[in-house]
Amino acid sequence: MSLALESVQISLGSTPLFSPLSLTVEPGTIATVMGPSGCGKSTLLAAICGTLDPGFSFAGTIVLNGRKLNDIAVEQRRVGILFQDDLLFPHLDVFGNMAFALPAGLSGAQKRERVIKSLESADLEGFQKRDIATLSGGQKARVSLLRALLAEPEAILLDEPFSKLDEELRSSVRTFVFGQIRRMQIPALLVTHETADSPDGTYIKLT
Amino acid sequence: MSPSRSNWLKIFPYLTLAAFLLPILVGLVFTGAPAFGLLSAAGPSGFSLDPLRLLLFHPSLPGALRATILSGVTAASLSLALALWIAATMHGTKLWRLIEFSLAPLLSLPHAAFAIGFVFLIAPSGWLLRAVSPVPSGFAYPPDWITAGDPWAVSLTLTMVLKETPFMLLMVFSGLSRIDVKRTVWVGRSLGYHRLRIWTRLIIPQLYPMLRLPLFAVIAYSLSVVDLAYIIGPSLPPTLSVLIDRWFNEPDTSYRMIGAAGAVLLFFITLLCIVTALLVEYLVKKAAAGRMLNGQRRSPFEPLAATGSLYAMLILLINVLCLLVLIIWSLSNIWRFPDFLPSHYALGNWAKSWERMVEPLSVSVAAALASCLISSILVIGCFENERTLAQTRQISISQRSLWIIFMPLLIPQISFLFGIQVLLVILHLDGTWFALIWIHLVFVLPYVFLTLANAYRTYDQRFSHVGITLSSSPRKTFTRVKLPILMKPVLFSLAVGFSVSIAQYLPTLYVGNGRFATITTETVSLAAGSDRRIIAVYALSQFILPLIGYVSAITVPYVMHRNRQLMRN
Repeated sequence: MSLALESVQISLGSTPLFSPLSLTVEPGTIATVMGPSGCGKSTLLAAICGTLDPGFSFAGTIVLNGRKLNDIAVEQRRVGILFQDDLLFPHLDVFGNMAFALPAGLSGAQKRERVIKSLESADLEGFQKRDIATLSGGQKARVSLLRALLAEPEAILLDEPFSKLDEELRSSVRTFVFGQIRRMQIPALLVTHETADSPDGTYIKLT
Repeated sequence: MSPSRSNWLKIFPYLTLAAFLLPILVGLVFTGAPAFGLLSAAGPSGFSLDPLRLLLFHPSLPGALRATILSGVTAASLSLALALWIAATMHGTKLWRLIEFSLAPLLSLPHAAFAIGFVFLIAPSGWLLRAVSPVPSGFAYPPDWITAGDPWAVSLTLTMVLKETPFMLLMVFSGLSRIDVKRTVWVGRSLGYHRLRIWTRLIIPQLYPMLRLPLFAVIAYSLSVVDLAYIIGPSLPPTLSVLIDRWFNEPDTSYRMIGAAGAVLLFFITLLCIVTALLVEYLVKKAAAGRMLNGQRRSPFEPLAATGSLYAMLILLINVLCLLVLIIWSLSNIWRFPDFLPSHYALGNWAKSWERMVEPLSVSVAAALASCLISSILVIGCFENERTLAQTRQISISQRSLWIIFMPLLIPQISFLFGIQVLLVILHLDGTWFALIWIHLVFVLPYVFLTLANAYRTYDQRFSHVGITLSSSPRKTFTRVKLPILMKPVLFSLAVGFSVSIAQYLPTLYVGNGRFATITTETVSLAAGSDRRIIAVYALSQFILPLIGYVSAITVPYVMHRNRQLMRN
């Protein structure tokens, strides 16, 4: 289960945002992409996710698990995404947010069991009925990741998910997110401004 | 978004335009043609200017024009001026928040019901005079005064000002939500400018472009209103719209050609007034440009600033009094002049009216629900299509497309309703539910569109992106994420549409062909001279329906999301 970008380049009009990018992210690993504001980091994630703004033109190939994603609809790509905002649905409680990600056809009991198990893995036992407004920043970040993982994505994209957290929280959430991704054995692509966010200190710089 | 869904969405703008623009255009043609001797019901004929000539020499025309233009232009100008003055002097105060809170109930009081309440207040035997009679006024009997229906249309103008100022205030609230007023005032004050100067030089220039189309809608409405004019307008001669309505309904079909000529004249008067408003805007802008940077910090109107809250309270008070007097009349058994309150109360008026009200109430609710539901589907479909187009072609909503949405509100109803009636007769569709719901849709749809647009377009699309990546289902994401998040604005737009439909008078009469009686048509016809107690029952019923809509729009999301803090705002 790997994510491969082959000669990917995104342009605005005739101006390329960055040089052609090729990389392969293996299961359970987190590749870090860095670069200054406006260099196209989030745009790259949008292209992988399938939500690239039409003002941009895309060249290259994105392959996930042997499937070429270029012409596949967003909903069929099986790529999860985490933003710097948690984007938890405000009208649903924690259970509702997480159950939304579960596949259709599960019974109520099965859904409850899966959600509770997932919450337990993040030390969030008993949080099912909590309104998301009552969660702390770290709890929201964790629920947001758990929700993304419950959908069983084949890859996950991290769009500066730690940038709004304070230093202490940032470290613990980072450890949690990376741990979960390794446990799930899926490839992840992280874009960030902070070198410290990179799990092993290495990163690809968009130029 | 899958390509198949995008293709399917493309149909919505066409359906929407067909639903509300086509009838107007066809209606204009079929109304206007008889004015030139064409398509006449009186028999085959050729092009002729006789109908126009007959109209211009009609003895009632000068008086009707005077009442129409005077009341229409004054009401629209005063409503705009008052709304801006109230905003400039009260924004940010506790009273401003009270006004914001009161706007929904104020707007849910239909024009006809309000006008009836206002007549019950200002009539020679009305509540205001009762409050000072027999002492100190000295009146033991109602005096022989003309308070409602005066020939200069002062009472009609006042009624429209009292109803249109809250509407303009709603538009002001909506416009201000897109301007950073707090920081603008803060910066202006730090530069030494008085609050009123900040408003006239910094805020109103940003705000007015957003009020332009609503103002034009108020101009068109004020010039062409029929139900209000029947209740509180002058009668000898009446306003032009009432005169046209009477001509269209004359048994002698030759009058219809004069009516058509009148409808064309009213259309051009409205157009002229809108063009004049644009010209005035241009001149004011030009005159203000020179003064904008003259460094003058103080405003000569500062001593009058307190009048803003006075006007606001007065409008609020009159609305409350209108409602109260309607309630009292509906419950009164014996209420003789000059008694301030009835000597005997009874529920009999409600019991007596209920049996006759069931059908009009049912027709009103059914037409309103159907037209609101169809409008919402069309409007949401248009917004979804717009979003898809924006994803593929970078389109943005322009001022021009807003003009199209406002079209049914910018053209006098009477200038195209007769034509629609003619067309429906030709198609054997007059007096059908289909026609009734369609004509209500024409007026409901713009309001649903305008009240939903801002919330729908500012929805954070990333929620849907996340939803789709999680559920692999755009439909599930739409129904379980997007619509619930937007529940409050969607329900509010439905409530607005519902109240607009309930208040439709002329469209129901013309298209219903006498087969449909709604609570509004019944209330207006009773207002011509029935028992005040029964009129009050009907007017209150006309008010209660939209009120239920607004209350539901507020309470349903509140109850459903009572444990969701982020959904409360």
